[in-house]
Amino acid sequence: MAGASLKRLMAEYKQLTLNPPEGIIAGPLDEDNFFEWEALIAGPEGTIFDGGVFPARLIFPTDYPLNPPKMKFTCDLFHPNIYPDGRVCISILHTPGDDPTGYESSSERWSPVQSVEKILLSVVSMLAEPNDESAANVDAAKCWREDKSRFLECAQRSVRKSLGIPDL
Amino acid sequence: MEGDKTLATSASTKAVEEESLAALNMDEAILSQRRGIEEQIASEQQYLVSSTRELSELERDYQHHGEFSARIQELKLIYGCLRRTRADGNCFYRAFGFSVFEALRKNKAAYQAFRKSITEAKEYLVIIGYPTFTLEDFYENFIEELDKVCDGEGCPISQLEELFNDKGMSNYLVVFLRLITSSQLQKEQDFFINFIDGYSTVKEFCSQEIEPMDKESDHVQMNALTSATGVCMRVFCMERGQYSTVTFPSDGKPIIHLLYRPGHFDILYPSADATADSPTL
Repeated sequence: MAGASLKRLMAEYKQLTLNPPEGIIAGPLDEDNFFEWEALIAGPEGTIFDGGVFPARLIFPTDYPLNPPKMKFTCDLFHPNIYPDGRVCISILHTPGDDPTGYESSSERWSPVQSVEKILLSVVSMLAEPNDESAANVDAAKCWREDKSRFLECAQRSVRKSLGIPDL
Repeated sequence: MEGDKTLATSASTKAVEEESLAALNMDEAILSQRRGIEEQIASEQQYLVSSTRELSELERDYQHHGEFSARIQELKLIYGCLRRTRADGNCFYRAFGFSVFEALRKNKAAYQAFRKSITEAKEYLVIIGYPTFTLEDFYENFIEELDKVCDGEGCPISQLEELFNDKGMSNYLVVFLRLITSSQLQKEQDFFINFIDGYSTVKEFCSQEIEPMDKESDHVQMNALTSATGVCMRVFCMERGQYSTVTFPSDGKPIIHLLYRPGHFDILYPSADATADSPTL
């Protein structure tokens, strides 16, 4: 089982290294274990997370790419689609039928033709455009909907913290 | 005043966190239950595609359902033996893949035609914007295995059994058969949209029901995969009150035969060739 997964993960890593998408760096933490990656995601330009660099972990199942990896930010990120413990909750990380927050049936799901790059690009658009319909962090969703200025403040704090700048 | 507000906020944050956590635990619980079911099926059915079995074995499946024994007698008039496939939601694709590889390994012309049609199906997906990088991974793997099976004199049946029972390899082949099915459905979407329930577009149906692993198949999938590949397939449908056979396309000469019982597909071999190592189909 792991043979095909390993081959695919190595190919994806090579591809991501040769043609890195803007604002994304990703690769295995240790080249002896291709099933655990670290990713650094830059907050998309011109959005509330602009300027931040957010680290995350990706854990791949042994039957990848039949099933999607799990992804978790290892920094504080106050966002409607990120659980308070850092786990990312977007539709592409779930196969149809695995429905924690009731995505629309038209939302993009995991299938074996998706890739790490596709996931990371979806995460970048999630940072740019929070989706408060399928909230993983209800407080953040509420804040995003009802109190944009507090949300902006929290986002700015996340950005500064990700850069190691102390709170003002 | 200020203090109360902070307290209230932190209490509501806590409630919210608990809510998120509960959702997370629910999610985990569902996944773990599904894993449990998968493990149970895998422990009862150690094969993905079994060795050839006697049809009388089916009688054991229906000890308490007398009406099925008449169906089994009818089946025995036409067929000699079967291979079971694991009931994991991929049984149609796995049964199709195994029997097609088996039929093609001794038939050079059909092998070349099949190879050409799956390449075209893949190219159609490229045209409609599927990611080439991952698509090519499944395509190249499929072609490589197909060539190994069909080149020269054709591989021994034991090699084919080994290939389809290696979970990683076998599932990679299933993924590509799912993609071919999706390609055909989208190419002929004006036709297939009439047979799809619950989805507003064929594309949506494909991304929810065809491309992800473990999603079961029915008439639409059978129609699409056989027409994409040009493989003629006969399906013996065994239901409580009656049996019927369906051939795709209806005027073709079948080179593979499947047994359909509601929700599940196995592989059948016509009786004249039942005892041979490689049934001439």
